[in-house]
Amino acid sequence: MTHPPDACPECDLLLRPSRPIVGEKIVCPRCGYLLHSPREQSVERVLALSVAGLILAGPANFLPLIGITFLGNSHEGTLWAGTAGLFAEGFWLVAALVFLSSIFVPLLNISLAFLISLHLHFNRPHHLLAHWMRWLQHLEEWAMLEVYMLGIIVACVKLSDTADVQLGFGLYAFVALLLVNVMLTGSLDGYLFWQRIAELRRKLHGQG
Amino acid sequence: MGKAERGALAQGLVRCHACGHLAKLRRARHCPVCGGALHARRPHSLQHTLALLISSYALYIPANIFPIMTVNQFGVIERHTIIGGIFALVEKDMAPIAALVFIASIMVPLLKLLGLSALLLNVRLRWQRHPQWWMRMYRLIVFVGRWSMLDIFMISILVAVVDLSGGVSQVIAGPAATAFAAVVVLTMLAAKSLDPRLIWDKQNKL
Repeated sequence: MTHPPDACPECDLLLRPSRPIVGEKIVCPRCGYLLHSPREQSVERVLALSVAGLILAGPANFLPLIGITFLGNSHEGTLWAGTAGLFAEGFWLVAALVFLSSIFVPLLNISLAFLISLHLHFNRPHHLLAHWMRWLQHLEEWAMLEVYMLGIIVACVKLSDTADVQLGFGLYAFVALLLVNVMLTGSLDGYLFWQRIAELRRKLHGQG
Repeated sequence: MGKAERGALAQGLVRCHACGHLAKLRRARHCPVCGGALHARRPHSLQHTLALLISSYALYIPANIFPIMTVNQFGVIERHTIIGGIFALVEKDMAPIAALVFIASIMVPLLKLLGLSALLLNVRLRWQRHPQWWMRMYRLIVFVGRWSMLDIFMISILVAVVDLSGGVSQVIAGPAATAFAAVVVLTMLAAKSLDPRLIWDKQNKL
């Protein structure tokens, strides 16, 4: 199969079509953009990781991340309570942003990755596949689990000065969700996914 | 080298922003492969970036002078600005964490504002030098953008955790939190609306 010509998305340099083998990396000769880095069994890995992510999302959101004990009083905080607390204090704009970047977008991304990889794995065409993939590409940078993790660490250090800090079970689920998300992003071969989506699209229109 | 270095647009080809398909210019408004909208370059890229950047500069001021967090302990109310929070960490001998917060909350937003301004000038005035260098700066700005949310997330966790009964201890967000969050989001959007291909276009005198 021949590959169509290609252009670098960040500097528009026309490139000769190339499809490296698994493990190789192709960068744009002019601006250094990473053009292709094929992964082994990309679709299957994304499917498996997204299932793991969907399972972890519940405990990561609703089980306590950290708890404090201060003068005999103790209190635990969940990811969800962080958003709800800001909302209750009247900072609805900040609350919405925290909700989107730490809860909603990561979950939406994992759900989209699940839907796309499920259809690709079973060769099922769907008229929304391209839409899902575009949304996934647009939303990727608005999922900020790793930044939230750093926020948890800084908060723990600040609190450890005045109170006893305990790590909750939700924190382990959150770290696992974060790792799944990072691995999912790394396993998703955009070039391959778009190629498969285009094939299924032709199949859909051929039948219809 | 000369011919091989030409951009796709100079050859009458438009790359679909979503799926990467190369389509002939003016042949179609939507990508034949994925159905996404086709644009040679992001429409009104410089105008959008400039508008978002001006808003960010304006919000950067209240973000830094108003308190971002209020701590209420036994009825004693302490207000912290972004800088104040960093000094408090230094005083408690937590210099590494203070450095981390300083980088995420002060240096990164400032770098983004100044860097994006310089990039805008570069593209607008068609400075003909070192596109690789400008590209590296553009990528750095895109990469670091999200990490400024550190302070906002930290406050959200403190709000959730420090809520002890009987007014023993409570953390409330401050007015600067909204302004600071807006600066982070607007600069991220500004970086996203700046089409990096414009940095290279002037090389071909399009």
